[in-house]
Amino acid sequence: MGAGPHGLSALKALLQNGIEADGFERESDVGGNWNFGAENSRVYESTHLISSKPFTQFPDFPMPDSYPDYPSHRQVKEYFERYAAHFGLRDRIRFSSDVVRAVPVDEGRAWDVTVADRVTAQETTYRYAGLVVGNGHNWNPKIPDYAGRSEFRGEVIHSADYKGPEVLRGKRVLVVGAGNTGCDVAVEAAQNATHAWHSTRRGYYYNPKYMTGRPSDQVADSLLALRLPLGLRRVLFKASLGIAVGDLTKFGLKRPDHKFFETHPIVNQQLVYYVGQGDITPKDDIDRFDADGVVFTDGSRVDVDLVVFCTGYLVRFPFLEQDWLNWKDDHPQLFLQMFTPSFDNLVVSGLIQPDSGQWTLAHWQGILIARVAEALRVRPSVAHGFLSRSAAEADRRYSAGAHYKDSTRHYFEVAHQDYLRALQDAIHELEVSA
Amino acid sequence: MSTGSDRRSSTSRNPLRRKTVAMRPWDWSFPSAPVSHREVISAQPAEPTGRPPLLMVHGLAHAAWCFGENWVPAAAEAGFPAYAVSLRGHGGSAGARHLRRTTTRDYVHDVLQTITELPEPPVLIGHSNGAVVAQLVAERYPLRGLVLLTPAPMHSAVGDLVAIGKDRPADLLRAVVGQTLSMEPDILFEGLDPQTARTYSDRTGPESPLVQWELLLRRRVGPIRCPVLVVGTPEDRLVRPADVQRTADTYGVEPVWFPGMGHDVMLDAGWEQVLDTVLAFAADLPAWGSAPVR
Repeated sequence: MGAGPHGLSALKALLQNGIEADGFERESDVGGNWNFGAENSRVYESTHLISSKPFTQFPDFPMPDSYPDYPSHRQVKEYFERYAAHFGLRDRIRFSSDVVRAVPVDEGRAWDVTVADRVTAQETTYRYAGLVVGNGHNWNPKIPDYAGRSEFRGEVIHSADYKGPEVLRGKRVLVVGAGNTGCDVAVEAAQNATHAWHSTRRGYYYNPKYMTGRPSDQVADSLLALRLPLGLRRVLFKASLGIAVGDLTKFGLKRPDHKFFETHPIVNQQLVYYVGQGDITPKDDIDRFDADGVVFTDGSRVDVDLVVFCTGYLVRFPFLEQDWLNWKDDHPQLFLQMFTPSFDNLVVSGLIQPDSGQWTLAHWQGILIARVAEALRVRPSVAHGFLSRSAAEADRRYSAGAHYKDSTRHYFEVAHQDYLRALQDAIHELEVSA
Repeated sequence: MSTGSDRRSSTSRNPLRRKTVAMRPWDWSFPSAPVSHREVISAQPAEPTGRPPLLMVHGLAHAAWCFGENWVPAAAEAGFPAYAVSLRGHGGSAGARHLRRTTTRDYVHDVLQTITELPEPPVLIGHSNGAVVAQLVAERYPLRGLVLLTPAPMHSAVGDLVAIGKDRPADLLRAVVGQTLSMEPDILFEGLDPQTARTYSDRTGPESPLVQWELLLRRRVGPIRCPVLVVGTPEDRLVRPADVQRTADTYGVEPVWFPGMGHDVMLDAGWEQVLDTVLAFAADLPAWGSAPVR
């Protein structure tokens, strides 16, 4: 379900291993979140990757040499189109098909999937031996509630609906949230709006895209390749940022209240620059709205015309019962962030937010799904042995030793090397018994 | 042809095989440099036949021309979309200036890049060192099939180098100090007329010393799930038949032997028979995505 990167890679891995599979996609094209302009796409005009090609791409289908280190969302979309065409996936996907519900039948041995054609509105039910859910986790906006919101006469949008800087022009803009989107929007507001304020709960580290002439994630991965311990990597990163940027409080930004690698990395070189130029004024958390503006927790107040909430997303599976996914604290807790204790034949792919690129992990999740499906068919005892750990290991995190700041933001955060090693071990476990 | 080939790839425990490798930290942190231009020689069948594309990868000091000469047009004639790529620093591809710094990993990158430009997953054909590259590609990418022509051994070419040294000590010395292995006509060909053999030999170019030295390493290959065909010749003066046999053993197949031919089986007299064997193998492969679970 879903023809974004995770749906595509799972479909490919299943077909590659001789397992019959169909895909369903609500839009008329592949790409998922990267299908710019589609209803549930959350990319905006200027979106570029913030992780460089090597770890971001599917390892068996590298991005072309002609792409830059950090491709744009258009190139990413084109890349997925080529991937789908190359592996013959298009013929296996029913587009413009909304999965309405999926219910287990035959005591959980099969699933009935009801799909609505978005053109004819006709509903059809198909039966499958197993389900792979790849509907994404960055489409359902999370909007915080503040006192006085209803009195505010200005405009309020969520970044989910932010497509480009036109909406910012000539306005006094408050951007809320310091995720990568929040920082991007704050920078675009600095360039386009009358003035920009940026409200964040805490201080962050703003990482550059390049270090020593190389993409900084590649520099970070070379430290990992050398197996430097977390503490030493923290020292090196802090030192390099100290030389390049220095003390953020001198810019009026908050001092980070956490250590490196405890929050999802922000890759943005321009934010600090615009703060330094006075185009962005950093602000505290919002306390309340009034008719014309916003009051912050430090008591200060500004008049604004537009508030952009870059406050992230909440995961939702509208076609499944939440109980089936071991739902706790408003999110599913799954073994390897994929397998539910409730069913052997229900897998979620893509419920991860790595501190690096995504689609190398998407590829290996797909391979693992194919190995499990294969084992369920020809070596059921091995498969069941593997899946029986889902209850016990559902809350295991892959943070490489760091303690993530708890927030809905970090439910799915994984340290890419830690998580990938776990996937590799799982693949070996199913392969060794071959 | 003296034996048939067994096309089942082996899943048994084999000391030369290793488990799936997902962790490639050095590839992530120091990726191969992009190449500004890659030469791909290709020919298409007159009309679509539904047969899988063939991608051919040359060995040391050769380039796409060695397949472009006979195999690419003949394969297209037989209904297979055919492609041959020049690895960086070879033939018409860019990268000659950096050849001395080029490693096998860069060649793997070049082949993967070429594959992504093909309309569908190909059968990969690697000759000599190109077979090493092809095996490294096969553990990363789901090929339709893998063909290894007089493959340089993944389990270390020290034995081949010693054999070369016994025959031609000067060649050994040159290779050890980083000069390109000799590609004289009598080393590459058995049945070809001397003039053509000389012409082909003269077309070979320099090779990266790092890539040549890498051949001495013992490398294990990851799980390769596609069918494998191994081709060798008893008269090979670069890769010993025993090494061809050992490569085939790794995959649980029997090599197909072509007596009376030299190392360059795609150019030497009799290339048609070798190509026929390869095409028969390729025509018989299951469609991508339809192979049943073993």
